[in-house]
Amino acid sequence: MRRSCPWRWFASFVALTLLTLMAPMVPTAAGQAPGTLVLGLDQEPPTLDPHASPSAVTYQIIASVTENLVYKGADGKLVPWLAESWTTSKDGRSVTFKLRRDVKFHDGTPFNADAVKFNFDRIVDPKFKAGGSRAALAGYAGSKVLDEFSVQVSFETPFAPFLTYAASGPLSIVSPKAVRESGDLVHTRPIGTGQFMMKDYVAKDHTTMVRVADYKRKVPWSDRSGPAQLETVVWKFIPEAGTRVTTLESGETQGVYNVPAQSLPRLEGNQALRIEKAPWPGVPRIWLLNITKPPLDDVKVRRAINYAIDKDAFLATIYKGTALKAGAPLTAVMLDDPAVRRVAWPFDAAKAKALLGEAGWLPGSDGIRTKSGQRLEIVLNAIEYGGGPDPTAQIIQASLQEVGIDVKIKAQARPPWYEDNYRCATHGPVMFLRSTDPDGLFALFHSSLVGGNFNWSCVKNPKLDALLEQGRRESDPAKRRAIYVSIEQFAIEEALAVPLVDELSVWAYRSGVQGVKYNFNAYPILGDATLRK
Amino acid sequence: MLTWILRRVLAVVPVLFGVTLAVFSMLFLVPGDPVKMMLAEFVTNPDQVAQMRAQLHLDEPILQQYGRFVANAARGDLGTSIRSRRPVITEIGENVASTAQLAVAAMLVAVGVGVPLGLLAALSRNSWLDVASMGTALLGVSMPSFWLGLLLIFVFSLHLTWFPATGGGDLRHLILPSITLGTIAAAIIARLTRSSMLEVLGQDYVRTARAKGLGGFSVVVRHALKNALIPIITIFGLQFGNLLAGAVIVETVFSRPGLGRLIVGGILSKDFPLVQGTVLFVATVYVLINLLVDVAYAYADPRIRLGRA
Repeated sequence: MRRSCPWRWFASFVALTLLTLMAPMVPTAAGQAPGTLVLGLDQEPPTLDPHASPSAVTYQIIASVTENLVYKGADGKLVPWLAESWTTSKDGRSVTFKLRRDVKFHDGTPFNADAVKFNFDRIVDPKFKAGGSRAALAGYAGSKVLDEFSVQVSFETPFAPFLTYAASGPLSIVSPKAVRESGDLVHTRPIGTGQFMMKDYVAKDHTTMVRVADYKRKVPWSDRSGPAQLETVVWKFIPEAGTRVTTLESGETQGVYNVPAQSLPRLEGNQALRIEKAPWPGVPRIWLLNITKPPLDDVKVRRAINYAIDKDAFLATIYKGTALKAGAPLTAVMLDDPAVRRVAWPFDAAKAKALLGEAGWLPGSDGIRTKSGQRLEIVLNAIEYGGGPDPTAQIIQASLQEVGIDVKIKAQARPPWYEDNYRCATHGPVMFLRSTDPDGLFALFHSSLVGGNFNWSCVKNPKLDALLEQGRRESDPAKRRAIYVSIEQFAIEEALAVPLVDELSVWAYRSGVQGVKYNFNAYPILGDATLRK
Repeated sequence: MLTWILRRVLAVVPVLFGVTLAVFSMLFLVPGDPVKMMLAEFVTNPDQVAQMRAQLHLDEPILQQYGRFVANAARGDLGTSIRSRRPVITEIGENVASTAQLAVAAMLVAVGVGVPLGLLAALSRNSWLDVASMGTALLGVSMPSFWLGLLLIFVFSLHLTWFPATGGGDLRHLILPSITLGTIAAAIIARLTRSSMLEVLGQDYVRTARAKGLGGFSVVVRHALKNALIPIITIFGLQFGNLLAGAVIVETVFSRPGLGRLIVGGILSKDFPLVQGTVLFVATVYVLINLLVDVAYAYADPRIRLGRA
């Protein structure tokens, strides 16, 4: 008996294999019913709870599931949604919302002032681990239920960005009953009031949402009342870019997000597909210049760098149609003002050279400029992604070489990259920031955030601080705009950073997919979407 | 035999201890403040940083932290994921079946292709068949699995549309990933089977079997292969570990749920508890599988345990 051992071993192995293969398996997303749209995302959300999530992918999925008090469309205007109207108090510290009376959550419970109070109180509850939502309610003092359909939201100090944030995913409204009663399901099945409701969630694979058949209201982005056109939407999580694009070409998905730049020309040439692009709000891909570290403490050198960088080279080599040239510390969709455009630095190598000469940096024997025997060297902090440093760093290096600046790329893993930024140890990193309110600039340039996130220009300037604080307080839209125009002008003239490119959110669809719209966050809204096979 | 097994089991203890130490040190060997890294995407104030530090017990002395880590792990508590805010053990539980399925299917491919290929090569030694089989094996062992995966997707999903490119679930979803993952192991097993088989075919008992007048098939399968398979059991255990490692790549390429995806996601989102917990789990499984293989090996080949016990 002992002699036949290897065979028994092999037989048990085969038996084990068969058992494993026959074991109950994860339900599959394949074999879709008609009216089902399958979309491929580049990552899986950490949670679908809008208040707990730190991640944009959550809001991308639930943009048609949960709704907000106000809506901010692609044109940047705030319009009523769950709130019919709102007024800001004279001191700017509170906003009173009049709510719609005909709204029910997907679990049948009514939407009212109590629900709004519950949602906002939940976010600031110290026992609750809030995600991005916490910063959206900075200085929240409380909500007061005035009557069943009126609620007053107050802040300790005037907080003008609140209305914009009230329109964004992190402050979307979920059913209080579901939060209290659904336990762990709260992470995979947010109960909102939107045109779709979540149906299932399979970790690392997909999540499904189905249309709410008795949805009667008119949504702000449509001229039509009533439920969504599609029956079902399946979001598949496909992290590998090559695989994701292949599923679109084979028809396994009908739309994919985050199309890699190198695949874009091929997909654009495919008649069966269509590309859609939406501009990201916030701060563009930008090189924050550490103004405390010589030679960048000299504004002439910083301006010369702004002149010297050829942004067309970025578009031609790296971005290939997934970005536009940037000129300011906010993307054009956020604030595109002639007064800002006038001061933006064009590409002009000759002027860059002249400015460097004025600053005392003269060409040396090897082409690199020197001053009092010192070479003009700049250390660029770059993230090493495994396949070499961030390619934008290499373009910067090549551009500055032309005018006699030697750029050393400090390519490193993410943790030390952050540490260097906190310590203002290099001449600055290339980064970006997504934000729907110009208040995003507060994080970038306020002196209180040197050593934290994200004042990596290490700028401490009283005038700039005052403007940033004023922007937070000012509730009049026109005055507020003027403040941010001044901030942008200041940042450009002082050359605190080099804005490189405004990136675009790029989607590719099969041509049968029509009617996808995008909100200000550049997330797709699917209520009006249709699918023709 | 029992003493021998007991000794092997006891030898596992220091190994597991080493594993916990390595996994625990990870947090401190990575440059930078772990809490700041985890909160890197947020605009934070010092209170939040302090709160997170306390929540992860990072404000305690290191030895105490390690003691807590080991004690919790022994009870099956691997902490809470920063990103999803769920227990790490729950996340592992959701993903382990899919990875086990993939690893076993890949092993089936490895054995199902590797053993016959090696056998073919050994029986037709130095012929064109031998060269072709071993050439194929060399190709298999040299092919990076992410490349093979994308190639299979290109051919079988995009052009022939036989199999879906992504997802977990039924058998159709399992075929391309298991071929991708099993190819390297198949190649290694093929080469090993060939050399092991050639050695056995030269043994006296094979000559005796032939002298008794047994047919070629009977000699090869009942006498030679049975003995040649013994070293393959060992490589089976070692390869199983490689399969778990390979799952990291294959699960990402094919967007399959599983432990590999879990680890990659954890690394990318700087979710230390998740990475620590999953690595500890996988390392423990690897150690236990090799223990089982050792025991099976001793059971199959009496010389092993008699030599040592």
